[in-house]
Amino acid sequence: MSLAIAGMGWVTPLGDGVDAVWEQLLYGHEACAEKISEQFGNRSYSAFRVPESALGRLASHPRLRRASAISRFAAAAGLQALQAAGVKVEPQNAERMALVFAISNGGVIYTKRFYRDIVEAGAQSARPLLFPETVFNAPASHLAAILEITGSTYTLVGDSAVGLLAIRMAEDLMMNEELEYCLVVGAEEVDWLLCDAYRRWRLLRLAPPLEPFNKTARGMILSEGAGAVLLSRTGPIMIAQTDAGAYYRKRTETEARSTSLSPAQTARSSTRQNAGRYGGYFRMQSSIRRSQQSVKVVGPRDYGR
Amino acid sequence: MLKTTAGNGKSSLARVAVVAAGVVSPLGFGLRETLDSLREGRDCIAPVTRFSVAECRCKTAGQVADERLINDQPEAGRARRLHRASFMMIYALKEALAQEPRFKPELTVVGTTSGGMSYGEDYYRSLYRRDSLRDSPAWIANYPAQKPVIDAQEVFEISAPCQVIANACASGTNAIGHAFECVRSGRYERVLAGGYDALSELVFVGFDSLQASTPEKCRPFDRHRTGMVLGEGAAILALENLDAARERGARVLAEITGYGMSTDNFHLTQPDPSGIGPRRAMERALQSAQISADSVDYINAHGTATPFNDAAEGKAIGELFGRVPISSTKSMMGHSLGAAGAIEAIICLLALQHQFVPPNINFRAPDQLVDLNIVANEASRTVLRTVLSNSFGFGGTNASILMQKFEA
Repeated sequence: MSLAIAGMGWVTPLGDGVDAVWEQLLYGHEACAEKISEQFGNRSYSAFRVPESALGRLASHPRLRRASAISRFAAAAGLQALQAAGVKVEPQNAERMALVFAISNGGVIYTKRFYRDIVEAGAQSARPLLFPETVFNAPASHLAAILEITGSTYTLVGDSAVGLLAIRMAEDLMMNEELEYCLVVGAEEVDWLLCDAYRRWRLLRLAPPLEPFNKTARGMILSEGAGAVLLSRTGPIMIAQTDAGAYYRKRTETEARSTSLSPAQTARSSTRQNAGRYGGYFRMQSSIRRSQQSVKVVGPRDYGR
Repeated sequence: MLKTTAGNGKSSLARVAVVAAGVVSPLGFGLRETLDSLREGRDCIAPVTRFSVAECRCKTAGQVADERLINDQPEAGRARRLHRASFMMIYALKEALAQEPRFKPELTVVGTTSGGMSYGEDYYRSLYRRDSLRDSPAWIANYPAQKPVIDAQEVFEISAPCQVIANACASGTNAIGHAFECVRSGRYERVLAGGYDALSELVFVGFDSLQASTPEKCRPFDRHRTGMVLGEGAAILALENLDAARERGARVLAEITGYGMSTDNFHLTQPDPSGIGPRRAMERALQSAQISADSVDYINAHGTATPFNDAAEGKAIGELFGRVPISSTKSMMGHSLGAAGAIEAIICLLALQHQFVPPNINFRAPDQLVDLNIVANEASRTVLRTVLSNSFGFGGTNASILMQKFEA
């Protein structure tokens, strides 16, 4: 089954809007990293944050009054995608649009704040207004309410491949011919706690520049924002293929297959080698389950120029 | 309602069989113990032992005993640092695969609400109190919501893609419903579906702070109901294209025949009092199965025992189904959130297989505002052909599935 991309939306540390952000990417502009710290943490981290100006065009809505940053990013990106496609959800077609919302960490800022009250001062200090915002599907719920979607709404949780997994799931949902559109949104907000967790996994570097594919890879810097694609049955850009992917396998098993060593032997040898060459970086990564997703997108060659 | 068309223009919907199932919950380890608890109407709620609840209104929950969960599973012995949720998933999958060792899923769809939340709590608490963080890499590695699913798959050398749905308390039913539609559309032949959740302090205190949980007994649909109690557990169902299952001689436990979902944009935590959200989900499930409401013989209700949920759900059920027998099995085991829909689907499966309706315990007086036929306090034997299971969650997600006794 082939699906088209009818509209897209972007809220990123480089700004908002597909054309504007694309322009920045073409010119190789780099977002400004911001230092974030925490009262009980003894170090600060760099992170790429979405500037407040990127949400300037987001209209106020009762659902967003107390919502976390992740919900506002998602709302802005989702609305952009619908606007780009010229699609408006009306009561008569509200059931014919599905929403698939992809996240890895979700509303971590409110989750941390809610739990901090409990740790600091006990359960009686827990704020009931914060708790619902800690639930994984709160951002999707806000977006569905803003767009007035009344049909299928799914929040999909996963690792860094979850955005592509969501496109695959959207394709599953669009097997239902009664659906006209599926809005796929991926969103994340950054927080000191996430930076600290990724550092403990030795996946994070403390400050820019980022050096992907460099000989001495030294980790990443966390970022935040949202991307949205509105999938339809026809349109200028077709999704040619989604790979079932998400093939989870331990690194050691994958390596064992290619080197004909047992997983245990591979684990021992790769740990020794990597410990020598990369410090702890790859050694830690070997315990992380890996998923692979790919989406092949085809479209007019001059798209985006 | 799922509608697909084959190349010849005719509707081409596959029938979907349940060929294996596994469960662990406060009701017991495995299908046999679960069945016994349901028949006896056993109250499996007990004082919370996992964390301090001294400052909470509610002090009880349905819990799965660690001694059996962790110590009795040699398959998981390689990794003592796995989260309890992983052990639950491993147990449920082990039971399902023991019935169908040849089942090779092309996709796994599992619902949850909080993943390995208690490890996130350990990490935060240690940071805040400047305690030792020696174990933090293991806490962080085992925190993500997809991890228990991957752990269970790895133990049994399954490498199917995983879709982990987090639609709050509807997650488990959404996972089964989505898996059902994947098989029904013909896109997949075999899919594992289920749900899991383990008790955590953050979630427990969260519901307590909302005063959604009760310091008393959980009394769904009772006039004097005062709220829910939480639970935990995991359940897995193996779904397969019915024709393919029969061709290879698999034992068909039941059929899933319909799935309905709706999004109720009324409020983040409260259902629309009109019951429109649950009603739409149930109507869509009936449309999906192409049956009328009077074909349904039993409803396993969401029935959290909160004043709002039971009023909205009761209204919708009363309007759509009249006096069909209903019960909320959460009265016996608590509300296991993302696992609830999957566990309750297995309860429906057992009800169909053994031709009985499980009870709604702790029931004393009917709610005068809704006219419902509650299966009060004792299981009863009856003839069941079609049953409905409901799950509704925060964010306004509503999901219903229909299951049918398999008749060759």
